[in-house]
Amino acid sequence: MNWTKQNPGLAMFAAMIGLLVFLWGLAVPLSAAPAPIGPAAGQFVEGTRVTVWLTLIAGSAGVMIGIVAGLGKLSRFWPLRWVCDTYVWLMRGTPLLLQILFVWLVAPTIMPEGIDLSDFACAAIALSLNVGAYNTECVRAGIMAVPNGQIEAAHALGLTSMQTFLDVILPQSMRVALPALANNLASLVKDSSLAYAISVVELTMVGYRVQSESYQPVPVFITIAAIYLILTTAFTTLTAALEARLNVGQKR
Amino acid sequence: MTTIETPAAFQKPIIEARKVNKHFGAFHALKDVSATFHEGQVTAIVGPSGSGKSTFLRTLNRLEAHDSGEIVVDGIELNSDLKNLDAIRREVGMVFQSFNLFSHLTILRNVTLAPMRVRKMGRADAESKALNLLERVGLRNQADKYPVQLSGGQQQRVAIARALAMDPKVLLFDEPTSALDPEMVNEVLSVMRELAYSGITMLVVTHEMGFAREVADRIIFFDEGIMLEDATPEAFFSNPDHDRAKAFLSQVRHGY
Repeated sequence: MNWTKQNPGLAMFAAMIGLLVFLWGLAVPLSAAPAPIGPAAGQFVEGTRVTVWLTLIAGSAGVMIGIVAGLGKLSRFWPLRWVCDTYVWLMRGTPLLLQILFVWLVAPTIMPEGIDLSDFACAAIALSLNVGAYNTECVRAGIMAVPNGQIEAAHALGLTSMQTFLDVILPQSMRVALPALANNLASLVKDSSLAYAISVVELTMVGYRVQSESYQPVPVFITIAAIYLILTTAFTTLTAALEARLNVGQKR
Repeated sequence: MTTIETPAAFQKPIIEARKVNKHFGAFHALKDVSATFHEGQVTAIVGPSGSGKSTFLRTLNRLEAHDSGEIVVDGIELNSDLKNLDAIRREVGMVFQSFNLFSHLTILRNVTLAPMRVRKMGRADAESKALNLLERVGLRNQADKYPVQLSGGQQQRVAIARALAMDPKVLLFDEPTSALDPEMVNEVLSVMRELAYSGITMLVVTHEMGFAREVADRIIFFDEGIMLEDATPEAFFSNPDHDRAKAFLSQVRHGY
């Protein structure tokens, strides 16, 4: 981790390249493995890709949602505050599995004619909304941690509220919010496995299928656990490097 | 109240405050404060803690909104109209007691941010201007550092450069040396002294009586939200009109 902190740019680059190489080259060691892993290598690779896509899409959308709803919770306009409070209350207070099923069952009935949401899209929407609610609280904490003097200084210099937010409040709040956001991202990698409930063929679903065909659950689940571990390591290296990059000008 | 004669050089009013009132809950912080400040004038605002002097300064760029009365800056009325507010804040610079440098930006970026965002200046122009200003406050060699790496006195000099980068018509100083270690006070005061002689309009809330006496053209004394005295430094320091001012001066006399 020290190396990550000293070379954040390099670490981010390495983590991203590592992730790509992993996704692209995973088939090679897996197909060389003995049964039941080897014959199913293609399925494992496909499942891993789906898991990574779900995480990246829901992770990015979740950060956007978190920033918007976090700001909304701090708004002076009470209806907006109420909407954001209710959203966080609902998403944190109900099981993620239920949310995924709910989106999958309800989305087709409210979508306009001709737009067909895939199972993958339903899972991505439910995961985004769920992680967004947790991110909301992290972003809110980050924004509240920005000293008032920083905002006064920006206003006194003539910066508009929007400029003050983008140039001063957001970068400073992200320094505080990032460790918690990274935590949520690491959870998301694993939470994405619940998408199996609506038959999205992600990594855990692949595991179920392979073990039920081969009747050898232990090696299958060890393989899956190893892949998850490698994925979370890549994501946390990425966020730790980002943290180090944002952490300039701080007292230690 | 002693009225001071306005020298010919100070004919053009830049800030006019008329019957300004401000409450914090039940506390009446400013009571019917009226004053006109002229271009090129250096005014020191003094008084005991909680007397309303900082509050008054902060109403002049609406970091505190006044409850009643009228404030006109450079011909523009200061009210809830955001257009007016933006226009006024562009022309009025402020230096804070706790510096308030942007902690996530380098010294150079601290100084270039407002000219680039508010004045839409190009990066190269903004940087060369910023480096000149940092040179002026003696900190050009610190441009690539972050605020936390500088001493308090250095940070305050950067804050002055940052305010100057907007070419303000007025500079407000809110107790600029009160948060500094004693040995750093002078480096900030000497930058302010140089500014005062360069002809910029300054309003300085301060406890530095020596500085006020030497540099200011005018002294305003606040007590319990009232502007009690408005006089030349000579008149104020030798023979103030009110007993409250006499008591205040005898309390701080060791300072000059």
